[in-house]
Amino acid sequence: MKIFLLLFFCLIFSLFAQDDLLDLLDDESANTIPVSATFKATRIVNAQSIELARPKTLEFMIQHRFGSMGNGLYDLMGLDGAMIRFELKYGFNPKISLGAGRSSLNKTYDFFTKLKLSNQSNNFPLSTAVFAKAEIETLERQSEFSEKLENRLTYDSQFLIARKINSSISVQIMPTWIHHNWVRVQTNKQDLFSVGFGGRFKLTKRVSINMDTFFPLGERDENFKQSWGVGFDIETGGHVFQLMVTNVQGSYESAYIENATGTLDGMEIYLGFNITRVFRL
Amino acid sequence: MKVVSISNLLTNSLVFNRRRFSLGLLILILSQPLTAKDIYFTRSGTISFFSTAIIEDIEAYNKQVTCVLDKENGSVAFQVPILGFIFENALMQEHFNENYLESEKFPTAIFKGKINDWELIELSEKDQEVNLTGEMTIHGVTNEFSEKGFISIKNNKIDGTTQFKIIVADYGIEIPKIVRNNIAKIVDVNVKLSLKKK
Repeated sequence: MKIFLLLFFCLIFSLFAQDDLLDLLDDESANTIPVSATFKATRIVNAQSIELARPKTLEFMIQHRFGSMGNGLYDLMGLDGAMIRFELKYGFNPKISLGAGRSSLNKTYDFFTKLKLSNQSNNFPLSTAVFAKAEIETLERQSEFSEKLENRLTYDSQFLIARKINSSISVQIMPTWIHHNWVRVQTNKQDLFSVGFGGRFKLTKRVSINMDTFFPLGERDENFKQSWGVGFDIETGGHVFQLMVTNVQGSYESAYIENATGTLDGMEIYLGFNITRVFRL
Repeated sequence: MKVVSISNLLTNSLVFNRRRFSLGLLILILSQPLTAKDIYFTRSGTISFFSTAIIEDIEAYNKQVTCVLDKENGSVAFQVPILGFIFENALMQEHFNENYLESEKFPTAIFKGKINDWELIELSEKDQEVNLTGEMTIHGVTNEFSEKGFISIKNNKIDGTTQFKIIVADYGIEIPKIVRNNIAKIVDVNVKLSLKKK
């Protein structure tokens, strides 16, 4: 009886196997398949994402933050006064991108690079990158000393560690070091450390909800507020729109990480959007 | 008493082993056709597609096509890793995988079928027109598939080519209104293979 049963199974199995020609080739070709599109844009909300400008591609980004919503209808939820930052960046290859930006907040120019160190794949669990930026504040100043170029410089350094958990959830951790060459008040620190957290959840194929925030390491003065941002990514072909609510108005690193101004209490928060347009060169 | 029981045990285990042995032999015999087949295959076939729409042309190629042909009965199978498609435009490639083919959910496209009237076909160095029929699975959707192809044999290598059109909507791939002028509804596909004996 047992034999017949076995015979029967063998027969079925051999029939089945005959159907599946592809099974004849044992799968020795375990290629490395890199994970792509951990985030849709180079920013999560305010924070830098693991994504670089794509190779041989020029990306133009406008970051627009309206005024505080605290005044209500008087200035239409802050729509009357806005801060804006333009950014142009280029991807030389999948691992290197360079760019420059200019923000109306404190008339700040910045130059930055993002370098991919590793890409998440079926063989490696994490994508990692370093981000480095030099900011030059060009606002007019009182003293000759503070007017000097070296006293206008701020350096931002970040290590970005991200993982796309599945097609809809991605998370990122960002240890951050910000160095001011010169500080206005002696009690202010020149070196500021923090850890950022960010993530996204895809609602549909083209829309995701994102958030990021930075936790300070070490002490800050009493005016310090922890920065945060919540927003949507909306993708339409060659554009990515990012709509957000955040408690910071500046959109360069030392502004949005260390100089958050708003709180939820007085609706001291800002509506904003980022637009990314991609040009193939 | 002791001796008997031991000898009993011995014969029992012998019988058991013999039965097991004969079963093993049976399995071997039954699975024989699997290994005795006249199989030709490749892992590096080329597939490319081209679509032309009002605003832009889209083109991509993939050199990781697996194809298996059973020369005894003419049955064929293809397997295409979707993530292996390379576009000139990295953003297009990302959208292709993320928004259209959803390649994390559906990592491969598969065709399983046969070459019609295989018994009547005599392979030669000349390209011969053949008909392929079977089932094509793309984006998790399976459709009947029947197209022409060309096949030839040279230096014990079987070369095959085929060209066909795919209607994107047949495979549940949605094109949103906003990019309707960028993405064609019908895509031209080219396949080129060179199979060697396994």
